[in-house]
Amino acid sequence: MSAGSHGAGCGVVLGIVLVIFLQQVGYLDLSDLAPTVEYLVIGAVAGGVLGALIGWALGRSYLARHAADEASRQ
Amino acid sequence: MHSPRTRRVEPALAFAALAIVALLLNIPAPAHASSPVAAVSTQPGVSSSGYSVTWNGVDVATAGSASSAFSVDLSQTASLWYNWSTGVANPVDISDARLQMFYLGFAVSTRDQVLTNPTAQPSGSISLSWTPVSVAYLLEGVYRLTASFLAPNGTTMWSENFYIRGTAPLGVAAVLPIVLLVIIVYEVYGLARSGRYAALGRKVGESPPATPPSTSTAPPPSTSEAAEPSAPPTDSAGGPAPPTGGGS
Repeated sequence: MSAGSHGAGCGVVLGIVLVIFLQQVGYLDLSDLAPTVEYLVIGAVAGGVLGALIGWALGRSYLARHAADEASRQ
Repeated sequence: MHSPRTRRVEPALAFAALAIVALLLNIPAPAHASSPVAAVSTQPGVSSSGYSVTWNGVDVATAGSASSAFSVDLSQTASLWYNWSTGVANPVDISDARLQMFYLGFAVSTRDQVLTNPTAQPSGSISLSWTPVSVAYLLEGVYRLTASFLAPNGTTMWSENFYIRGTAPLGVAAVLPIVLLVIIVYEVYGLARSGRYAALGRKVGESPPATPPSTSTAPPPSTSEAAEPSAPPTDSAGGPAPPTGGGS
């Protein structure tokens, strides 16, 4: 598994949960089914894309730091 | 076989599914057909359409959008008055005043106040009290409610949508927001740690293809060596001869 796919998985769950949480704190109305499905799909897609980007960036930085550590040991 | 990501995501999904199932199972207060009441012939604050509903004395038409929702303590009883005044020339037969609460498009709570002997009346009022005590400690947020008048044959004479913003008894001390917050924190932590998976993925990518080490290190067998071990023992190989019988 790559860092990007791992971040995408976290992002999808975060996007869905955030939509439900925003309804709980009063910022979204999830009374009707159609807009609710739209909100959930948008949250999942946006969260997945953002999560993949964040995971990819974190993976690159981790690898760069890890390579620097390895070079400093040698 | 589960990958590490699957094993990590599954608890979060299970939490989310559990929260949604708990929500859908615990919100619904069964349709209460409480003791029938007689219609009162007073009709304060009837709108131009001839029908109106008040929530603790305030017309629900003023809460027609989510931004103008009533702020409601979900543990407190709400008093609703259903009023109609259609005029002497046009009496209506109202048999039921209904209040429904919607979530995800479904009526998750229904409260009915049924009249004993509904007759066509030009005006009247029905009192209905609603205590969402079963959901008080479970959730909060904005919900759409529908107040409606029903005729004896079940048809809806008039209905109006309005919104309430339910607050938990202790602010955010409802179950669902807390569960959602825990999931959010858990997933943010997982996202922050996703960089470590890059090293894991690199190690997996750099490892040689899965081949048994014994076969890769052993020298290739020659044709003569390959034939010798597989050859079955014969009598000419010098082994002990089987006993022969009958030659005495």
